[in-house]
Formats: sequence, structure tokens, C-alpha cells
Amino acid sequence: MAKRLSSQKLLKNNVLDAQLCTGCGACVSLCPYQAIYNDRTVQLHYCDLTDGKCHAYCPRTPTDFESLRELLFDTKDLTPEIGAVKAYYLTRAADSEIRSVAQHGGTVTALMELALNEGMIDAAIVSSGNQEYLRYGTVAADKNTLCKNAGVKFTVSPMAAAFNQFTRHEKGNAGVVAAPCQALALAKMKLNQDKNEAKRINQLQFVIGLYCGWALSAEKFSELLAKKYIRMDAIRRMDIPAGKNILELHTANGIREIPLDEAQACTREACNYCIDSTAEYADVSVGAARFAGTTEEQRGWNQLIVRTRKGIELIDLAAKKGFLEIKDAPQESLRDLKKAALEKKKTALANITRKSGSAKNLLYLDNRDVLLRRILGV
Amino acid sequence: MGNEAIARGALEAGVNVAAAYPGTPSSEVIENLAAVAKERNLYVEWSTNEKVAVEVAAAASFSGLRSMCVMKQNGVNVASDFLLHLTASGTRGGIVLVSCEDPGALSSVNEGESRYFARMLEMPLLEPADFQEAKDLTKWAFELSEKIHNIVMLRSVTRMSHASGNVVCGKLPNKIPQARFVYDGPLTDPLTGPVISTPVGLKHKLQQEKLKTAGKLFEKSPFNKYFGPPKPQFLIVTSSACFLYSREALSMLNLQKRVGILKLGCTWPLPEKLLKKYLRLTKNIMIVEEVLPFMEENIKVLAASYPKEIGVKSFYGKIDGTFPSVGELNPDVVAEALAKIMKVKYKTLPASYAQELRKVAAVIPPRDQTFCPGCPHRASFWNINAALKLDGREGFVCGDIGCYAMAALTPAIGFHTVRTLHSMGSGTGLASGFAKLDMFGFEKPVLSVCGDSTFYHAVIPALINAQHNKADITFIVLDNAGTAMTGFQPHPGLTMSAVGETVPAVDIGKICAAIGAKVEVSDPFDLETTTKKLNALLEEKGNPKVLILKQICALSPEKKGKKQYEVKVNEELCLGEDCGCNRLCTRIFRCPALTWDKAKKKAVVDEVICAGCGFCAAICPQGAIIKKEVVAS
Ligand SMILES: Cc1cc2nc3c(=O)[nH]c(=O)nc-3n(C[C@H](O)[C@H](O)[C@H](O)COP(=O)(O)OP(=O)(O)OC[C@H]3O[C@@H](n4cnc5c(N)ncnc54)[C@H](O)[C@@H]3O)c2cc1C
Ligand code: SF4
Ligand code: SF4
Repeated sequence: MAKRLSSQKLLKNNVLDAQLCTGCGACVSLCPYQAIYNDRTVQLHYCDLTDGKCHAYCPRTPTDFESLRELLFDTKDLTPEIGAVKAYYLTRAADSEIRSVAQHGGTVTALMELALNEGMIDAAIVSSGNQEYLRYGTVAADKNTLCKNAGVKFTVSPMAAAFNQFTRHEKGNAGVVAAPCQALALAKMKLNQDKNEAKRINQLQFVIGLYCGWALSAEKFSELLAKKYIRMDAIRRMDIPAGKNILELHTANGIREIPLDEAQACTREACNYCIDSTAEYADVSVGAARFAGTTEEQRGWNQLIVRTRKGIELIDLAAKKGFLEIKDAPQESLRDLKKAALEKKKTALANITRKSGSAKNLLYLDNRDVLLRRILGV
Repeated sequence: MGNEAIARGALEAGVNVAAAYPGTPSSEVIENLAAVAKERNLYVEWSTNEKVAVEVAAAASFSGLRSMCVMKQNGVNVASDFLLHLTASGTRGGIVLVSCEDPGALSSVNEGESRYFARMLEMPLLEPADFQEAKDLTKWAFELSEKIHNIVMLRSVTRMSHASGNVVCGKLPNKIPQARFVYDGPLTDPLTGPVISTPVGLKHKLQQEKLKTAGKLFEKSPFNKYFGPPKPQFLIVTSSACFLYSREALSMLNLQKRVGILKLGCTWPLPEKLLKKYLRLTKNIMIVEEVLPFMEENIKVLAASYPKEIGVKSFYGKIDGTFPSVGELNPDVVAEALAKIMKVKYKTLPASYAQELRKVAAVIPPRDQTFCPGCPHRASFWNINAALKLDGREGFVCGDIGCYAMAALTPAIGFHTVRTLHSMGSGTGLASGFAKLDMFGFEKPVLSVCGDSTFYHAVIPALINAQHNKADITFIVLDNAGTAMTGFQPHPGLTMSAVGETVPAVDIGKICAAIGAKVEVSDPFDLETTTKKLNALLEEKGNPKVLILKQICALSPEKKGKKQYEVKVNEELCLGEDCGCNRLCTRIFRCPALTWDKAKKKAVVDEVICAGCGFCAAICPQGAIIKKEVVAS
């Protein structure tokens, strides 16, 4: 009988070496064997366990999606393109101070502030960065810290690792901002039946997902910046204005523009195999309010997908307490979103097939999955 | 102890100067001399390396004093360049080189043979066969050296140097000589002119005459002795500890009446007449020696040179495969071989005896070669491994000689970073070479490590080489403030000499900085800072970078028995084999003080051997290892 490979070895063979690792950090801070360093997930020592959490939580190992959806969503809400949808709005923070520092409408930051104020959570796990432009998750417990870490940087930030780190040291409840891969990892944790682990995972109150087309590899991106003589620590804000095909870098000396294709060449390899653009496994997902005919006014708003009951609770509370301005989204917005989401799925599936060499082998995905079959058109 | 006997022999010979570089199994010779240095008016030093030790001893000889230099087998290789010239220039006062060798590599990474140097460098070689001889031969070696005006080599082995037996001591001399170096005679007179190996033709001829004189003296030496019947059926020629093995083998087989033993104390040059006489006695000759067939080759050349006088022989030794040319011999091996050739019954140990042996063996706890509890090297390699893994470019370490060589061995720690291991100082030289292979597509970061004592011994030229040739290496000095491996002999980095005098310390960091390398210092017990510093150095491109990891050896006299922390495992918190830990401390870190309670499935600190360094508390993912500062009472 062939010896069963250890979880760590499987992770190494099928995820890390296969360049599928998203850098989410779900396998990090669970144990002393894995670490994230400079955007890379690193195995420090050999571990021989065969049912490790690292492998179970990784969003790029095989997942029982059907059980997961059953656990998190109402079946009737499920769509093949953008996952479960209970409600779909355009939103923005009511607080103009938040809006002024936020990426778009400040919905994420406002929701976190609300949850902290209402005692739903003790910690908002958001993304922070160091001068090297490497991102890491950090704990915010007040509005000030939230605002300091508002806005996005398009380099990978290991938010799942930050959650693991938090629960290792703190007992309180947390809400986490997460890219789609990270939201999936956090969702996979909820499938774990282990008593001790459940206690820790129950600290997770909700996940605010971010829409995500791709993320940048810090290593490749810093090389590009160096070529353009842009100091990484000078970048205060990044944006991809609709329809312009550029990445804007806001620095002290004004805005520098990088052609989008040059920036996209720095995409993390794993993103090419990602089928999720709307954080389908989050409680709510937030993106830019960007669709055909976007006006300047709309640029300051967010799209918001509410996916779970917890999500509904959160948004209702935000409306009641006046933290969010909420309006119904136009139909074409949803149509555009679905179209774009489908596009990403198809491209990723094509890339996966190319990588595996066979349409039957979808690597971390399962071609028997009902929703996937609908995408694949079978 | 054999090494004490050698020291005593030197004292009885009136040795004035002794210099050595520590190395098992040789170190106790100097330690014993250092202990009586004041009382006996000796100058004793730990030298930077073996070559310097011979040079220091030679200066004394040139000045008419008696001197000795001591080293382990591979030390002779280090000293060999100087020795080549020294044997040519000749010496004046008696000078003896003691080489203590390690057949079977019990505490070495080689089982090198220095006897070949005696032949190659044309100097006389003596090999004591018991403890009394260890003393007596040493004493006589000085006389011989003075008679022929050349250095004499005395070779011991671990089982001689480190075993104990009775020795009858002789008188200690009582004269305090005057050092006088005469150099104004003619160049051609080695006794009054400058001491120099030229003119080569003349000096080389003189050297060979000296060797011949030694050979003549060997003919009558009482250290070569025949034991056995006047007409043996079989002759064993042997030397050193193998003499004892051979004697025991004969009594085990009850062959004393049929087999003779020619024991040689003077093994190069061979006492030809003596050998001719005994080789004639029988057709069957067995040569018993460790490790390589040195004596065997020499005897065969002799037999081939004088066929008429010696006759046709059947030789049994290493060359025909009777004995292996690897490892130690023992009485059993000799008896077995002899029994086979002589067709006698050889009973291995009686069953009852073997059973008793097994019983005894069962109560001896199994001991792997590993780093001691509290060893800073374990922490250093933990840091190095972390930094290399984080760095992610598959960097590796070129190892060097010292306790830290254990990092290359499997049971010592549960991870590996050391990928080459050779002689003293060679790690940094190798690293310097690897780093220059970038033009051939070699991209891995290269590290080298060495201990503080090794740094002074042979690393400095390699580091200068790396700097001069812009080799991008990261060089780590594992500075544990002493030559720990061989028993804490002082070295140039410390403020104490071999005899306990206060001396100025030579600063490693300053040397590296003066060479032009970037130098960082860290405490290996500070996991986070050390790894961070090391990663930063690894990422820096260009010239050699140096990280000095300073932490005193756990066994150092300063630390021994004093725990900084009381360390315990909180069983409630310990995850043991569960996911989240999987026995990091006992499976990977492997400090001997951390043990695994199989029944409870928890880690336990063995308080008796725990050195109290507290490092494991930093690595336990659960915070289950609790350290409490011990307040000095
Ligand atoms: C890598 C990446 C790619 C994205 N791609 C798209 C896209 O294609 N289309 C789209 O509509 N939206 C995309 N977004 C989401 C979008 O940029 C905004 O994050 C979202 O609209 C929320 O806006 P906001 O005004 O509510 O944000 P804010 O209120 O400013 O809050 C943003 C939150 O995100 C956190 N954050 C910052 N950087 C990261 C990071 N790298 N990873 C995780 N969290 C981070 C911040 O700490 C902060 O809490 C992407 C986001 C990221 C991080
Ligand atoms: S995708 Fe996330 S969980 Fe999987 S290997 Fe990478 S960092 Fe670990
Ligand atoms: S490292 Fe800590 S948790 Fe793991 S076995 Fe050792 S004491 Fe227990």
C-alpha cells in the first residue's frame, strides 16, 4: 500500500509547487510549520500528520463545495455566476470622513465601525502594510485605526493568517475583510468539527468579502516600480479608474499612471486559476460601483451583495443606525457584474485545464460540482 | 591515562616548551603539562593552529631547549608544510611531535594516518605499545632527536591516549637551561649557522644520513621486542595498541607456543637487521596495525629488497584482505583472522558472557550524538534554518569542524542545513568558491559557519579570499567563548592563556570588519532578532557578510550548573501530537532535556539535565513551555 502523503507534503506538491498558492495564510499561524514571508508561503519544518488543518483550510485544496454552500447559504439564493445573493444594493458610508479615506464608498470601513460600536465584534481584522509594500492583516478596534487602514493596495494581504494569529492570542469576536480566496479559506474553517477548533472559529462573526479581479505579486510589482523609479513607500493610494486602462498611483508628488497591462503582468500566478471575483463565500461582498455608464457620482459608491442571514442582520443594523446610505442598484449593474464574473470563471477554467492537461482534471475544483457544470455548459 | 604518561615522559626528559592545538584524543597531554607549568618552569601554550604549534616548539629547539608539540592526526596535515622544511633544516634541542590518532573516527570526521608523513618527510617514527612505553618512549624520543638533530614523531591512538594503566615513574631533572640561538656560523653548518633548508642538496643528504643513524639506533632499541618461541610457525609483526590485541588473541586461542610476536616501537625507518632476523624464522607473516597498511608496505619492500636473506613469504595483512583498512581492530578481529589461517577453533564469547554483556548494555541509556541541553548551537541552527526557509532560495551551509559539525548529523536535530563538512576552515573556503559560480548559473545563497576557535585556526585566509574576490557569502561565527568540543581550552578570543595568565583577547568582529566585511552580532537565544538580522544579510548582495552569534557554551565552567530559567511544560496547554504542534519540541528541536511521555502524550522537561536556557519556550506554538527566571539566592 502506498503511504499516504502528509497534509504538508500534499500542500507543497499540489498548491505551493503548483503555484496555486494565493497567499491567504489560512495554513499559517495554525502551527509552527508554515510561515508567510515576503508574499511567499514557506514550510519551515517537516510535519508528518495526514489530516492537518493546513490542508483542510487551504482554498486551493479540494473542497466539498456542496456541503459548504449548504452550511452557509439558502439554496434558493445561489446563482452560478456570483454565488448566493439575498440582496444587491449600491451603498456608501454615511460618514463623509470615512468616505474621504476609503477606496470607493467606504462601505467596508463603515460596516466595521458599526460592528465595533455595537459590540458585535471586538476586533476588525483589516489590512495594513509596511514600507516594503508587503501587506499583512492587522487588528483595528476603533474608528481611527480603521480609517488609517482604509483604501486598498492591490498586493496580497494574508488575511486568513491574521485571523489565525488573532484567535491564537485573543478570546474576543472578530470580523474579517477578505479577498475571495481568503473568504473561501475562512468558510472552509467552518466545516471543521473539532471541538477546540470550533471554539476558535466561532470567534469569526462575519466576513466582508472584497470583489477581486486579481492581486499583485509584491515581488513582481516592486520590480516594476523600481524600473519606473517609483518609491513603494511613497504610494498612498491605488486606483483603477473605470474605462481608462490604467493603474493610478497616488504619491506625494502627484498621481503616477501605469498602463494596466503592465500592472497586470505582475499578477500573482495563482490568480489566473481563481474562479471567484465576488467573494462568494463571504457574508457580504463589496466592490466598486462600476458598470456601463458609470457616472462620476457613482464612483463614490459601492456595490454590495448580501449573501447570508448574518449579512442581512449587519446591513439592516447599518441602515437603522444610519451608518450606510443604501439604494437599489440598477438592473444593468447586476447584469454586467454577472457577465464579468462569468468571464473570470471561464478564463480561469481554461487556464486550469491548460495547466492540468485535461478538462477532466480541474485541480482544486471538482467537475462534478453542480454550479460548475452549469458554467462549463454541461 | 596514556596522555598523562606521555606528559610525564616529556617532564622526565626535561621538556622546556610545549605547544599544541587542542583535538581529541590529544588534548590531555598539554593540559597535564599546563597544570605543572609553574612548578616545573615550563612554557606551555595553546597555539592558534598545529602549524604554529610546531613553529613555536621549533624555535625552542633552535635555541637549544627541549620542546614538544602535540596534535591530533589531521593536525599533522596542517603542520606538514612547515615540517617538510623543518626536517630539512634540522633541529638542535630535542624536539618531539606527538600525534594522537583516532582509528575508527570515534571523535573525528576522518581516520587519517599521519604515519605516512614520517616516511614522506623523512623523520623517525616511534609508536608506544603500552602505558609504560608511552612514558619511556617519549623520554627517549627527546634523546634521539638530540642525537640526530632532527624532529622525532611519536604516534599514539585513542585506545592508548585515553586508556589507563600502571606506569613506573622515573626522576624529574632539575636544571634550568639557558636559551641560546646561535646563527652566525656558516650556512652549511646546521648547528651554528642560520637554520634553513638550503642548500637543498646538502641539507637533504644530511637529513637522510640522520634517518639512517636513527635506523641503526633502532636495531638495538629495547622498544622493539620479540615475544614467543624460538622457532615459531607463524609470526605477527605489530605495533602500538595492536600489540595488546595480538597478545590477547594468542592467549584466547592458546597459540602462544606456536606463534611469535615481533613488537616494534620504532616503526620508521624499519630496523632492517632486526626484521631480517625475525622474518627468516617462518614462512607466514601477519602484520597487525591500524588503519592503513603502512608497516605492511614497508616490510614487503624490505622483503622484496633482500629476497636471499629473507626468503619467500606468505603475508597476511590489509592488502590481501585479512584485515580491513578501515576502522579500529580489536582482539576478536585478530583472533578470528588467526584462527582461520591456522585452522584452529575459535570460540567467540561464551553464551553466558554474551548474555551478561547484553544485560549490561540494556541498562545503559541509548545516547545519540547530539547537541547538549542548552547548547547555543542548536538555537543557532534553528535560526539559520528559519532564515534559509524564509529566504526561499534553497540556500545551504558549508559546515566546519567543531561541536556544531553535529548539525550535519541526523539525530542531533530534526532538520538540515549543513551540506558540506571537511577540514578546519574549509567551510568558508568552499562557500567562497560556491559563491563565484554565479556566472555558471548557480544562484543559491551560500553560508558558512565556524566556531570561535576554528575562526582563528584556519578561517581568516578563507574570509580574506571571499572579500578579495567579492564572493557573496554569509559567514556565521558560532562564538561560544571556548574550544568547547575538546574541553574548553582557551583560544585567542579569550583573556586567559593555557596556564591561566591574563592575556589580551583578539576580537573576531574587529578582524572581520578590518577585512572589510559587514559585521552583525546577535544572541542566538533571541530567535526573532537573529532570524531578522540573518535574513537581512542574506538579502544584501555583494561582499561577504558576517553574523557573529554570541552565546556561551552550556557546559562552560561559567554556566555549568547555573540555570537561568526554571523550565516546565504545562500539560493542559501542550498539544503533543495533535495538529497545531505535532511534537515540535521533541521531534524537530530535539533538546535532550525535552522528553516525550508516551503514556500521557505530552512533552516533559527532564529537570535534571535541562540547562535552563529557556529557548524552547520561544518555539512552543502553544506557549506550553513555561520559563521562570531563577533568582540567585
Ligand atoms: C486585490 C484586490 C483586487 C480588487 N479588485 C477589484 C475589482 O476587480 N473590482 C472591484 O469592483 N473591486 C475590487 N476590489 C475591491 C475594491 O478595491 C474595494 O476594496 C471595495 O470596493 C471596497 O471599497 P470601500 O470603499 O468599501 O473600501 P474601504 O472602506 O476603503 O475598505 C477597504 C478595506 O480593505 C482592506 N484592504 C486593503 N487592501 C487589501 C488587500 N490587499 N487585501 C485585503 N484587504 C485589503 C483595507 O484594510 C480596508 O479595511 C479589489 C480589492 C483588492 C484588495
Ligand atoms: S492558498 Fe492559502 S492556505 Fe493554501 S497554501 Fe497558499 S497561503 Fe496556504
Ligand atoms: S512544542 Fe509545546 S505544545 Fe508542542 S509538544 Fe512541545 S510542549 Fe507540547
